[in-house]
Amino acid sequence: MSEAKIATGSQIGRSLPRVEARAKVTGRAEYIHNLRLPGMLHAKIHRSTVPHARIRSIDTSAAKAMPGVHSVVIGDDILAVIPDPYFGPAFHDQPILALGKVRFAGEPVAVVLAEDPKIAEAAAQTISVDYEELPAVYDEVEAMTSTAYVHDELKPAGMFADLKHLAGKRDTNVALDYHLRLGDVDKAFAEADHVFEHTFRTPQQMHTPLEPHVAVADATDAQVTVHSSTQTPSTVRVEIARLLGLPENRVRVRTAFLGGGFGAKVYVKLEALAVALSLIARRPVKVALTMEEQFFTISKHGSTFRIKSAVSKDGRLTARYCEVIYNGGAYADIGPRVAQKSGFSAAGPYDIPNVAIDSYETYTNRPTAGALRGFGCPQLVWAYESHADLIARALGLDPVEFRRKNLLKDGLPQATGTVLRDTATEAVLDRVVQRIGWGQPFDRGSGTIRRGRGIAIGMKASISPTTSVATIAVAADGGATLYCGTVDMGQGSTTALAQIAAQALGIEAEAVRVVAPDTDMTPYDMGTLGSRSTFHMGNAVRRAAEEVEAKLAAMAAEAGVPAGTNLPIAEIFRRKYGMQAGTVVGSGSFVPDYVSPDHATGLTPNATPYWMTGGSGAEVEVDTETGRVRVLRLVNVADAGTPINPRIVETQLTGAAVMQLGFTMSEEMVFTDGQLRNPSFADYKIPGIRDMPGLMTGESVAARQESGPYGAKGVGETGTFAVSPAIANAIHDAVCVRITELPITAEAVYRALRHAAGDPLPED
Amino acid sequence: MTPFELMEPATLAEALALLDPDDPDVRPIAGGTALMLMMKSGLYRPQRLVSLRALGPGLTSIAATPDGGLEIGAMVRLAEIERSDAVRRAAPVIADTLLTHSNVRVRNVATIGGNLAHGDPHMDLPPVLIALGASVRAVGPGGERDIPVEALLTGYMATVLGNNELITALVVPPQTGRKAAYAKVTARSADDWPALGVAVSVGSADVRVAIGAATETALRLPQTEALLAGRRLDDKLLREAGRCAAAEAPVVGDLHGSASYKRVLVEVHLRRALQKALAA
Amino acid sequence: MSAAPRTIRFTLNGAAAECIVAPHETLVDVLRDRFALYGPRESCGQGLCGCCTVLVDGAAVSGCLYLAAFADGAEIVTVEGLADGDALHPVQEAFIEAGAFQCGFCTPGFILMTTRLLAADPNPSDEQIRHYLSGNLCRCGTYPQIMEAVKLAARKLQG
Repeated sequence: MSEAKIATGSQIGRSLPRVEARAKVTGRAEYIHNLRLPGMLHAKIHRSTVPHARIRSIDTSAAKAMPGVHSVVIGDDILAVIPDPYFGPAFHDQPILALGKVRFAGEPVAVVLAEDPKIAEAAAQTISVDYEELPAVYDEVEAMTSTAYVHDELKPAGMFADLKHLAGKRDTNVALDYHLRLGDVDKAFAEADHVFEHTFRTPQQMHTPLEPHVAVADATDAQVTVHSSTQTPSTVRVEIARLLGLPENRVRVRTAFLGGGFGAKVYVKLEALAVALSLIARRPVKVALTMEEQFFTISKHGSTFRIKSAVSKDGRLTARYCEVIYNGGAYADIGPRVAQKSGFSAAGPYDIPNVAIDSYETYTNRPTAGALRGFGCPQLVWAYESHADLIARALGLDPVEFRRKNLLKDGLPQATGTVLRDTATEAVLDRVVQRIGWGQPFDRGSGTIRRGRGIAIGMKASISPTTSVATIAVAADGGATLYCGTVDMGQGSTTALAQIAAQALGIEAEAVRVVAPDTDMTPYDMGTLGSRSTFHMGNAVRRAAEEVEAKLAAMAAEAGVPAGTNLPIAEIFRRKYGMQAGTVVGSGSFVPDYVSPDHATGLTPNATPYWMTGGSGAEVEVDTETGRVRVLRLVNVADAGTPINPRIVETQLTGAAVMQLGFTMSEEMVFTDGQLRNPSFADYKIPGIRDMPGLMTGESVAARQESGPYGAKGVGETGTFAVSPAIANAIHDAVCVRITELPITAEAVYRALRHAAGDPLPED
Repeated sequence: MTPFELMEPATLAEALALLDPDDPDVRPIAGGTALMLMMKSGLYRPQRLVSLRALGPGLTSIAATPDGGLEIGAMVRLAEIERSDAVRRAAPVIADTLLTHSNVRVRNVATIGGNLAHGDPHMDLPPVLIALGASVRAVGPGGERDIPVEALLTGYMATVLGNNELITALVVPPQTGRKAAYAKVTARSADDWPALGVAVSVGSADVRVAIGAATETALRLPQTEALLAGRRLDDKLLREAGRCAAAEAPVVGDLHGSASYKRVLVEVHLRRALQKALAA
Repeated sequence: MSAAPRTIRFTLNGAAAECIVAPHETLVDVLRDRFALYGPRESCGQGLCGCCTVLVDGAAVSGCLYLAAFADGAEIVTVEGLADGDALHPVQEAFIEAGAFQCGFCTPGFILMTTRLLAADPNPSDEQIRHYLSGNLCRCGTYPQIMEAVKLAARKLQG
């Protein structure tokens, strides 16, 4: 018999290899991508070819006539099984298949079902739709005033109290407006020694998880099962149950390892469609997207950020105004949350007495935007840290000194009024400065090759309100099984949560098995998003383990074991039951405190259970003849609290920075008249191994989040925050030009150089 | 991909007989990497593909010719050319170019004949082979003919080859006394199709200049060549040549960059390619 | 010889295999659908990401751009064929020890490519590693750790 060992050392701070490492290197890790069910049909989607139109008619006759086609489904057919087929976490605005209208080019309009996916695909291409085109709006700034409306009427989901005022609103493309007012901004600007104003933009971009979205539904009237590559099994269950009018316990959502998520797979994506198709066909149905189709499913918000700061003679920020407009695309998804949550921290990690923030989520006739690793925050840091360097340069101040002078330190209230607790902003900035060698001489290049350095720092609120529940069952051999809804999409949560449970139970992490999320077994968790699992679920797991510990102690006492005796768990079971038998179950839940922001002022004493801080330093080389930028060094530093698994934390940090390097240097969804021109890796270029800087580091500073499990806090997004402005600031340092729009392509830099030389390059 | 008929003839004559001069839905397939992309995206739906994989050893060897040139069978994989000592000796620029052409897996499968017959302007080899004065040997019902690479490519994804004509070999003339270089310029990520490819071959009395990727098809730049012919290639002349090439090249804008930016790239990278060749 | 399905015979991870394929089927689909080998997996569908990497007669190919019919007579190896029973291949061990993956979806491709790189060049430079692996994409951005893993694997293979 193999019994769980009593831990010989702390399970916290152990760089244990991922528990699923062997399965991943042998190709045997489970992904829903691999799933086949007996009798399963494959669905292939026909998508709209126009960005905004009324549907006059849909001709599916050729598809239906094709040999091997099971059936063809359009929006009207969905109504038979789901009478009100609109879904979405913030607004119930998205139809499962287009009904009456299409709102972006690429929207699902019809589906072909067949046993052979190639036949379904060929048939889907024969479907033709007669459209009456409507005026469209694509740009987020234009959407604020355009009379081309994407939706006739706003339909908030009711889940979020702060969206209620938008119910039934017409003639607007604004899906959410968040406003923060602290102090007297107008007065401060009027009295300011210096005022600076700049506008920064980011393009629409895409997560491109390498495992494309997939959902397999097996639905009958009595029971609905969905196997999905989802980051949020519990919330998908709630939404599917709502759509079907079923109790939650009749809907089962399960997942496996995810081949990447990055926010693309939160909330309902394909699950409602798969369920509807399975109910119609009365067979299991698999909806598996291609890489190309993912671009029409979810994306990262493009944004326009107008930022204005008042600064005193001695370089103190006295006021800041932020107007952030996010391009949310055709459906709200979680976009309104992005606009609000990021709005909290739009003014940056600075101690500014007077702050005004207006943050808007807009509808446009583009593919939908939602959450992407940072939830709006990287767009904000891009702007406020580029702005910070411009101010410092204009005032002749060292960019690091300017930041130090204004940095929000632990214990001070952030713009919302929420006080920073256990937030290592100063340590992060200090370490970035040290790691990049700020202030030390370096080879600045000569001739047509110039080098420069830049730094940046950003901060983000975590998620609240939100709930996590965990259950731990300990078997009679002392091994523990952890049941929780946290999805491992590569961030290493399975390993980290096993370590937390093991630490609380006093056993080795290897003795904890973590089951894959399955709502039939695993209790509710809001979702694996916003860097929340280590902190929120980690706390729930710790509480569950503590309940188990208490029960085991009671059991030992009952069996007459003197208190303080360090018996192996298996021995306690043997004493109690006389043999290897029994189970002890403990559960724990975690709901952080939260105070909803005041609607008028946006202020709240408790916006977030903790803050994440990330800083980056970059050294770049610019070829002034072509504008080509090489990032030579990219150092990334985070406040991760006390890392549970330092190796995995480090890998998350460098990985996030690599991803943001792509968003900084090359990634952009390019549109012409609402048509996406580059929905594939052929023309949407993510970073490859030859794009890596010569030096690429990720590290966390010594820190401790007292409210977190064993001092830990979330870290999945932190590595993204400061990469883009650090690089732009380094380019400015190298060649004295300022890039204000991502991506920083060679052409963009070259154009800026020519502009600065008074000889702008013709547009075409 | 939609179903098609796959024929696997054992001889060149059989292969030619299976091709149809008038039916674009019948095509030869060699490595198939490019054709597969077109079929998977639905851009091409063939009725019949004629595989050239079983045509025998005549098409799969690399030979150094007695005069110092190369003859490379059409079915030779790009990876074999990349690693060939004969190629490295006779025309090292070809092996160097292949190192960043597409990726290892594609080079393991794609053939030189297929690569050239495809006519894709975003390929690295055409400008290089044009600068080297290479030609392809093609065979059709009317017999065999030699076609200079610069005459093979007629436009975007277009060649002079008939539907029932096959490339059998690439012929590279001796490069005695010449130095060549290729500059691949990517504008987005490092691993990308080129935004611009510039190849130069410098002889004692002439310079050949060819560009690709930034133009509808790979082509020579005769005015730039004339400017350089017979002159001392000093820095001033190289700069002038860059400007001349930028003005001469019929560049087009696309997702890699605007036309005006690509003209800048032509100007800079032609000069750099010449410098690299001279330093070789 | 036609559009009709045909029987292909090949060696798969060291054992004789045969199956019936249609001419338009790709190697990655056939390995998954007929042989339940899920190590090779289609992601970008364009031969750019390397998730579908398969070795054909010792050469890495993109299984999504390779007709299954062309595998007739070939020796095919997938990531499932690397381990010797319970003993992992040194490259697999190195990827674990260096923490060189996160979501794991691209990992079989990187591992297979690394075995071929090190077979051709037992002691590659950083530049050679980067060139060889430039056609494999990791969206989790694990490249720094992959570089470490390849170098560690090289040391392991050299004993």
